[in-house]
Amino acid sequence: MIWTGTPRTKGLARLFEARRLLSLILVGAFVWSLTGVGWKDGILHTGGGDAIKDFSLALFPPELSPGFLRLALAASWQTVVHAVAGITLAIIVGVPLGIIASGSLGNPGRTRLAVAVGVRFLLAFMRSIHELVWAVLFVAAFGLSSMAVVLAIAIPYAGILGRIYSELLNDVPEGPLDGLRSAGASPTEVLFYGRMPMVLTDLLSYSFYRFECAIRAAAIMSFVGIRGLGFEIQLSLSDLMFSEVWTLLLFLFGLVLLVDYWSTRVRRSLGS
Amino acid sequence: MSVNRKAIRETVLGRRRITFARASLYGFLALAVVSWVYILAGTDSGLGDLFSGRSWSNASSFLRQLLGLEDGLGGGGRPAFFDLSRWGETGKLAYKTLMMSVLAIGLAGLGVLVTFLPAARNVSNGELGGRPSAGMGTLYHALRLFFAFTRAVPELVWAMVIVFFLSPGILPGAIALGLHNYGIVGKLSAEVVENMDPGPARALRSAGAGNMQMLAYGIIPQAMPQFLTYLLYRWEVVIRTTVVVGFVSAGGLGREFRLSLSFFQYTDVALIILWYLILVVAVDLLSAFLRRLVRVP
Repeated sequence: MIWTGTPRTKGLARLFEARRLLSLILVGAFVWSLTGVGWKDGILHTGGGDAIKDFSLALFPPELSPGFLRLALAASWQTVVHAVAGITLAIIVGVPLGIIASGSLGNPGRTRLAVAVGVRFLLAFMRSIHELVWAVLFVAAFGLSSMAVVLAIAIPYAGILGRIYSELLNDVPEGPLDGLRSAGASPTEVLFYGRMPMVLTDLLSYSFYRFECAIRAAAIMSFVGIRGLGFEIQLSLSDLMFSEVWTLLLFLFGLVLLVDYWSTRVRRSLGS
Repeated sequence: MSVNRKAIRETVLGRRRITFARASLYGFLALAVVSWVYILAGTDSGLGDLFSGRSWSNASSFLRQLLGLEDGLGGGGRPAFFDLSRWGETGKLAYKTLMMSVLAIGLAGLGVLVTFLPAARNVSNGELGGRPSAGMGTLYHALRLFFAFTRAVPELVWAMVIVFFLSPGILPGAIALGLHNYGIVGKLSAEVVENMDPGPARALRSAGAGNMQMLAYGIIPQAMPQFLTYLLYRWEVVIRTTVVVGFVSAGGLGREFRLSLSFFQYTDVALIILWYLILVVAVDLLSAFLRRLVRVP
């Protein structure tokens, strides 16, 4: 959409100038959403104010007894295990699906297009349902188990990774590919020797970001009853042990920072 | 051939750096193997269940109940998704869910607007105007740490904590979603300012512009479109998560989803998933439209 009006349009026409329209929509939407809050009944619980104070003060210091630190470490390990298993499965499924969805595998033609479009729909379906909803459904169908949680992480994450991989593969510059083609490379050879090497760093860096997200996803899988950081947070909250909650939150923070740091180091070593 | 390629890469990138990437790959593979062994060796791995006939018949029965082809424990009757009044009732909850997602993004956006400037390195060290001071430096580090922390804690965990303080409704869920997204959009927006072309700001400075004028004409016009685009992208993610946050914060579709599931009213569950998909698609389309408006000059 290209705005073609003259700068001096007045009155109603000005209202629909893109920027104004946008600001109007955004501010209007926010005001509308505020009307959904039950202001009359009060937004704080009775005693909610004191609870906020207790919770904030519990950070100084968080629970640091050796026994609890051991428990937090064990919970972190459980969370990492589920995250790693989920993300590896997601990558194993996401890479081939992403390659097919990019439509750069095999010879051009109607079949290739149809398969690519079909896979894109599949990926869209996989990622449009949240991992926790998948988890709830899997647990309802198969019962509570680590496998249910790993699959619940792997399915939507494969959907996201597949989409991003296919977009990366499609967005490479054509020059080097033409070089390969004129040297007689088949479309599949162009894919493996042209597209793949060019996107490798971006691919890795996005996968690392998703690994970080998988850690958060694994932590909230406590909701269906699997052990891990989220599970311990829930327990400590219901015991009103706020300083324990802070320790667990800081462990989660540490895990995410660690993955973030690792990802930065790897990207730097690959020269980007 | 392979020796050649290795030699070229090492010359270009340096031997030591390649080694770190390779060590990371092996390290991750080892971690993956250990994790899978840990899960599969555990007594509750569930892999056996996954391949046992009984659990597949359970699963297919569950699926048939979702689709209303089989009566479950939740009483028979017409499947909820053929019942117009059920569509109306759950539609109200979907409306609330949409409201919650907008409120969450609005709160996150307001928070970011107030804090993203001092969180940009080139603002805090005075490169883009203002005066460098120890206070600004501390504020920069404090804000970056706060972004990282709010981002690291998932929405659902924030929600679990916040329901302790606030009465149920859409607000606690929106604040939980808002906090997590505040960290994400805050970091991205601060980076937009850091990576911004300093030309216009310098030109304004040399023409004698004050801090406020620099902000209004040098920084905001460049940063605003990116900020809004990030916010709209995050809205697409938020709508998917809003249902989940509703599990604990009792707002919108999430609560109904849990209730229906625990009462084994599986056709209601299917109806809620339908609404959920409708919301996801609608928000994706709306966000794409608004992002196009952002790009119009």
